[in-house]
Amino acid sequence: MPIDDDPSTRDRGLEGAVTEDFRILNTQAPRRKKSLAALLREPHPSVPCYDGNDHHFRKDELERLAAILGEDEREELLLPLLIEISGEARELKVRTKTGVEAKVLESLLRMPVDRRKGEIFLSRAQLPVIRRLLKTSTQYLFLV
Amino acid sequence: MAAKVQVTRPTKIELARLKRRYRLATRIQKIVKDRLSILIMEFLETVKECAIVKERQVAEFNEAYRALSMTSGYLGSEKLEKDLFAVEMPLKMVGKTRNVAGVRIPLFEVERDETVALKTAVRPGMTAVEEDTITAARRCLESIIELAELENSLDLLGSEINKVKRINNALEYIVIPGLNATIRYLNMKFEERDREENARLKYVKLLIEKREAYAY
Repeated sequence: MPIDDDPSTRDRGLEGAVTEDFRILNTQAPRRKKSLAALLREPHPSVPCYDGNDHHFRKDELERLAAILGEDEREELLLPLLIEISGEARELKVRTKTGVEAKVLESLLRMPVDRRKGEIFLSRAQLPVIRRLLKTSTQYLFLV
Repeated sequence: MAAKVQVTRPTKIELARLKRRYRLATRIQKIVKDRLSILIMEFLETVKECAIVKERQVAEFNEAYRALSMTSGYLGSEKLEKDLFAVEMPLKMVGKTRNVAGVRIPLFEVERDETVALKTAVRPGMTAVEEDTITAARRCLESIIELAELENSLDLLGSEINKVKRINNALEYIVIPGLNATIRYLNMKFEERDREENARLKYVKLLIEKREAYAY
């Protein structure tokens, strides 16, 4: 097989690889979220993703979340929680409308979280703790 | 390594295109770096978890072998073999997947079938030591499944880290310096062209002035 050593071809190849990688970064994002209460009712709790696959949840994780929240709050908590990572900012963000997400994270971290204008700000040090406890109930979202 | 300058046409449009590519490449590199740090964090967490599960597995196997040898001594190997042959393992494993920063990772969940468990528990003629052995063996099987999931995750995360590292290095050491060098080269080229143009205009002006002076 002949080797194409043209620098412009190599550059195009690299660009293609980067673009492809960039495109697939967020394919794991859920097409739609489901409430904790709805997931608890499912025999195999899962949400569909943009890549066509399903993202499955561990039942024990859902039960742990259910233990933290009341009946009404279970309907309000939409899963998976999306942790937004932006190259510009050093902090990570979780969007919240009702504040149930803040309650869950505060309970798991055992400390108050920084909540401003419908967004919860997390430090990088808090991330491993959250991911260890909520492996399937949280997902990353890379923002440009 | 010196960055390579690659120019097809030294034009302003080309410069604008290169500047756009440079900005995009810088932003992508930030995201790729973030993804790399996330993947490394996940990998290290999985390693830690893997070590804990392995330690637990060794303890569980020790316990299971001790229970088995005790039962064997108590009942005799023939009866034990006959009893264990008829035991149905009340386990059902469901294989699923989860996604970690673009990596599909297996997720194995053990589901206990309560009706089978009940059947196994109330089997007539089974002694307490036999039940202990079966319970210990079941625990071993569960930890094997858990460890299989973790080790597979490690494998997948490791290969993805290598891939992302290569992309990051390509961006950091080839693409971005190359674009930077090309932009610098084009800027210098345009400045040089401006200087030449200025000199040419001055010369033309001088020629016109001389011609006008001779005309009078």
